Amino acid sequence: MTNHIVDLKNTDCALIMGSNAAENHPISMRWLLKARENRGAKIIHVDPRFTRTSARSDIYCPMRSGTDIAFLGGMIKYIIDNELYHKDYVVNYTNAAFLVKEEYGFEDGLFTGYDAEKRKYDVSSWDYQVDEAGLPLKDLSLQDPRCVFQLMKKHYERYDIETVCKITGTPKNKYLEVLKTFCATGAPDKTGTIMYAMGITQHTVGSQNVRSFAMVQLLLGNMGRPGGGVNALRGENNVQGATDMALLFHIIPGYIDSPISNAANKDLLSFIRAQTPGAAKLPFTNLEEFRALVKAGFPNSGFKINTSKWVISLLKAWWGKAATLDNDFGYHYLPKRDGNKNYSHIALFEAMHRGEIDGLFVNGTNPVVGGPNANKEQEALTKLKWMVSVDLWLNETADYWTYQGWERTVKNPDVPTYTPADIQTEVFFLPAAAVYEKEGTAAQTGRWVQFRWKGADPVGESKADLWIYNELGKRIKKLYAGSTKPQDEPIVNLDWNYDDEHGHDDIMKVALELCGYNVADGTPVEGFAKLSDDGSTACGCWVYCGAMTYKDGKIIYKTQNRDNKDNSKTGLGLYSNWAWAWPMNRRIVYNRCSVQPDGMTPWPGDEERQLIRWDPTIPADPKKPEALGSWVGDDVPDFLKPTSPDKPAFTGPFIMRPELKGCLFAPKSAMKDGPFPEHYEPWESPTENIMNKQNLNPATKIWEPDKQGTTDKYPIIGTTYRVVEHWQTGALTRNLPWLAELMPDMMVELSEQLAKEKGIKNGHKVVISTTRGDIEAVACVTKRFKPFIVNGKTVHEIGLLWHYGFKGYATGDPANRLTPHIGDANTMIPEYKAWLCDIRRA
Amino acid sequence: MKVTRRQFLKVTGATAAGFALVDLGFDLQATASAAKELRIKNVTPTPTVCPYCASGCGLVIYAERDANGKFVKLLSVHGDPDNPINQGGACSKGAAMFNLREIYDERTGEQMINPKRVQKPLYRAPGSDKWEEKDWDWMLARIAERVKETRDSSFIHKEKLEDGNEIIVNRTERIASIGGSGLDNEECYILSKMMRALGLVYLETQARI
Amino acid sequence: MANLTNLYDVSKCTACRGCQVACKDWNQLPAVIEPFKGNYQTHKDTNGDTFTIVKFMEYEDPVDGVQWNFLKYQCMHCFDPACMKVCPRQAYSKTEWGATFHDPDKCIGCQYCTYACPFEVPKYREREDKITKCTLCVDRVEAGLTPACARTCPTGALTFGPRDELLQVAEERVKFLRVNGFPNATIYGKLELGGLNKLYVLTDTPDKFDLPVNPKVSGNTVFWQDWIQPYFGWLIPLALAGSATSFITTRILANKHGAHGEGGHE
Repeated sequence: MTNHIVDLKNTDCALIMGSNAAENHPISMRWLLKARENRGAKIIHVDPRFTRTSARSDIYCPMRSGTDIAFLGGMIKYIIDNELYHKDYVVNYTNAAFLVKEEYGFEDGLFTGYDAEKRKYDVSSWDYQVDEAGLPLKDLSLQDPRCVFQLMKKHYERYDIETVCKITGTPKNKYLEVLKTFCATGAPDKTGTIMYAMGITQHTVGSQNVRSFAMVQLLLGNMGRPGGGVNALRGENNVQGATDMALLFHIIPGYIDSPISNAANKDLLSFIRAQTPGAAKLPFTNLEEFRALVKAGFPNSGFKINTSKWVISLLKAWWGKAATLDNDFGYHYLPKRDGNKNYSHIALFEAMHRGEIDGLFVNGTNPVVGGPNANKEQEALTKLKWMVSVDLWLNETADYWTYQGWERTVKNPDVPTYTPADIQTEVFFLPAAAVYEKEGTAAQTGRWVQFRWKGADPVGESKADLWIYNELGKRIKKLYAGSTKPQDEPIVNLDWNYDDEHGHDDIMKVALELCGYNVADGTPVEGFAKLSDDGSTACGCWVYCGAMTYKDGKIIYKTQNRDNKDNSKTGLGLYSNWAWAWPMNRRIVYNRCSVQPDGMTPWPGDEERQLIRWDPTIPADPKKPEALGSWVGDDVPDFLKPTSPDKPAFTGPFIMRPELKGCLFAPKSAMKDGPFPEHYEPWESPTENIMNKQNLNPATKIWEPDKQGTTDKYPIIGTTYRVVEHWQTGALTRNLPWLAELMPDMMVELSEQLAKEKGIKNGHKVVISTTRGDIEAVACVTKRFKPFIVNGKTVHEIGLLWHYGFKGYATGDPANRLTPHIGDANTMIPEYKAWLCDIRRA
Repeated sequence: MKVTRRQFLKVTGATAAGFALVDLGFDLQATASAAKELRIKNVTPTPTVCPYCASGCGLVIYAERDANGKFVKLLSVHGDPDNPINQGGACSKGAAMFNLREIYDERTGEQMINPKRVQKPLYRAPGSDKWEEKDWDWMLARIAERVKETRDSSFIHKEKLEDGNEIIVNRTERIASIGGSGLDNEECYILSKMMRALGLVYLETQARI
Repeated sequence: MANLTNLYDVSKCTACRGCQVACKDWNQLPAVIEPFKGNYQTHKDTNGDTFTIVKFMEYEDPVDGVQWNFLKYQCMHCFDPACMKVCPRQAYSKTEWGATFHDPDKCIGCQYCTYACPFEVPKYREREDKITKCTLCVDRVEAGLTPACARTCPTGALTFGPRDELLQVAEERVKFLRVNGFPNATIYGKLELGGLNKLYVLTDTPDKFDLPVNPKVSGNTVFWQDWIQPYFGWLIPLALAGSATSFITTRILANKHGAHGEGGHE
């Protein structure tokens, strides 16, 4: 979330799309209902099916799965055509005025630079025109035909209401109602929020779906303001933290790209050059020269100009004394991945299926239920030599090798099954302590990092994951102790000292390293502005720097703060003294946008929602009373307090972008599949694309061409979703009797019309099939699902619960035995949300 | 400098009040009927955060402890009234957190540890059709050996680049790690650090799926 | 002492069923797992280990489209409770603040209350041979806490407080809803059966929420309390041993069978 949960109460309108907030983030409705009661806010729910969220919305608008860009592209066109955009905001805070290279173009669904054979774009034409100094050219009148605003207008000309509704299957009157209601938040005194979840991301165009949201919100002037924002409702209690800690192949902690095996990453200096925006062509041959350049500042860099400090502090945290200037601070100890390979979830299981992976750690996750094409992913596990599973329960993945694991309700010769004797995997199951049987922090969806205290003892011999990995780390280090092989240095030299004086793992030691300490005395680094790249600071993840402080001889972990008074003078619910939010306890990111470009005047009629402002009369630092001018306000500004009007950052709210502006046009390599979102159909779709000549996102990798289902055999759209009573693959809910009671069996929701066609009655057992397999479920025939009229033809859609498997108190077939191995062009997130299937009575 | 194991939690506000006059603001003791005594009387709850969706609702754990303060059993789990996100609220999942550890038996109504929780490390030998209980030492030692064996036999220390130069790459592609989004930050951090030190590049979490 | 009551505003309920689970947590109730019947509702009715349930009802209107109604259902804590009237052992009592309290120590499990109740709420718990029902969390309230259900409600649909104040809130809310898209919005529990100690704000007529539009206590109940109980209370053990037993057993079995029947949406 760019904003946070409580902030939802400040909105004038909420567009919930690709999320079933009332069910999957129930507390969000507390704050939305307050907004409705206190501000008269409207709640809009766009979804293929009427849900518990729809039941509490002012407008429910149906939309076929996988057509979000058509829906939002039409919204962009509506905003531009009716001049509903927030003009001052758009001109000053976005790249609308930037001129784009003459070479850039778009035709027949393809952007310039496409290589059909590789299914990849050469992105060099997707860039700004620049002056001699390398700074982008602009036309602040937004009239130049090559400016972003005009190109965008032209791009979305095709997205008229008629065409959009033909694609999405939305009734025109409903669509218009949504457009009118949400786009009214373009008024300077209004803000609107967009809430989304996996309904938006789990598509072959998932990233561009989110981009469309960002564009709508930038046009309406809704970013960086209370009650606004693009708000991802994240699905796991600490998925935000796991991402921050870079449990992902493509990054290292703090959102820095993981090193690749190529010349640009060959040593630390090259890596820093490649990772720091604007540094590519600068003249420096060592760190010292680079440091001087950073100090002076260079163009097109943004806040990431500090990358070297983050990288070197990370290396220092990991390899301690062994990380010195002479060995590039241990830069080579970091693994370098093959740049031509993808290592994401789908790729990982494809490689495993080919027998290329021998050992697997499974940390509280359950691909046998939650992985796309789960039949294939389960079969991939049989190729492992060993597997370590850490969980509270024997989930379906831990038990994948059992007889029960291979039972299939429908016999299908294309779906192989095994017996335990066939499977040579050595499996280790390590029982983990539950959340309240241990202590530690978690980052929630609004980036608040909250401490969880221990309220009960672990059951039996179960242990906290921290204990498990600390102990395993110690044992692995012991095995390598004394090795003189250069390849073992990353382990031999690894700083791994998390025990207290009694030999118990000490979470505060881990936390201090993660949040950063001064190497000389071990005191916490008070904020990432104080990190350095000379080896004097160590910090495991720079975005968490500042979460620890040293006061009166004691370390304070701010995540433990429990002052729940709202510090905002206008009742915005910032709660800045409750826990700690990254970065630097900022509660609403890009908050510069909450005040006009002059930095002092609130948006007309919106004084209450101003988060920060520039005060030229007071000093930023009490120790330097002569230096007048400071940013003040209830929230923490995105830049340093003394950032004055002569600095580009003064009118650059989007500090992580080199151009400091919100990107209506995503330049260069920001996206792999185009600078503007364009509608493409899902990989398995019931219709041709009528918006352009490409059916599938041209930049998406196709893994299993022979598994693409077609409408002759599979005419129905299938989608998956969650319900409030269960969570993810159900391990943490289907093992709880009270929750098993609430939603006891695997079910599929379908319309009365489809049920009639297929002779299915409510409560019947039915079979759903795709090219990947078949599952059985109980039919829930409902008025809440309706067929869509897509391009003149009736198309049915059914929805399956995500949560079921063969273990626990509530059991059922996993829906993901049906879903395909194909993912988004940028992130590779699987397309769980739109595929083709058929349904019949069991 | 010395890092203390942990700061002691000072519970204040509505959470600390525990039992009296918390929600209603007035006392009904005077009119008390035949009701049994409050189960959580004089119990100081421990705050935690819900492990399900990422909204970050606070929850409080009420537990029975013996005279030495040793944990005996759970009493109840509620929404944390002090947490500004949920202000005491909890949906069905949050409200069911008691079951994460303990349940009431459906036949007898007796309170017991959730029988689905695994209480000992389990080992499944290749080709076997059953789990065997093992102790932690044996398990961790065996896992460490297998990690080393796979890493050492598959490790790529250096690679030749297109320009002919060699580059240190320090990676293994034969070990993978998935998951971690249910772990605490500190746990994710040491997991990320250890896996990368081992040279893993197949490192993924639920954020991708 | 003024009455203390729950106000349940369906226009704010998201049917997350936190109340249903929090009730089980506080009252130490095991799960009663029944198969999914094609409706989100877990049980057709409350049962011996489930004091409160959320009902789910779908309707379709040509103008307003689909409506999905949710209703938290439990003991209504009537001002003049029929259960109390028929109980042969005086297991029922009213607290000074309006809860209908059932004392399990006095209960003999005869289940007359179940059949006397206009909502059929008190339910038999076989393993103890006792009746159970919502207690309005008497133990919590008398220690200054709100009932577990109201305490857990994430959206504020369920609140707890003095009945007269909540009645005012409810009336304001109904007024608001009537001019904001819900012309049939109404209060339930204000006058029904002479007043219930549970108040509902409904967005539509009670029948759309599976509530009896005009609940009535059967004439037999009045007869029982005013005539039979005072004079022939000593006959109860005999009555239980005799024909009443077969009558009751038949009713229980019929009821149980019903709970397992095919579910539907309406």
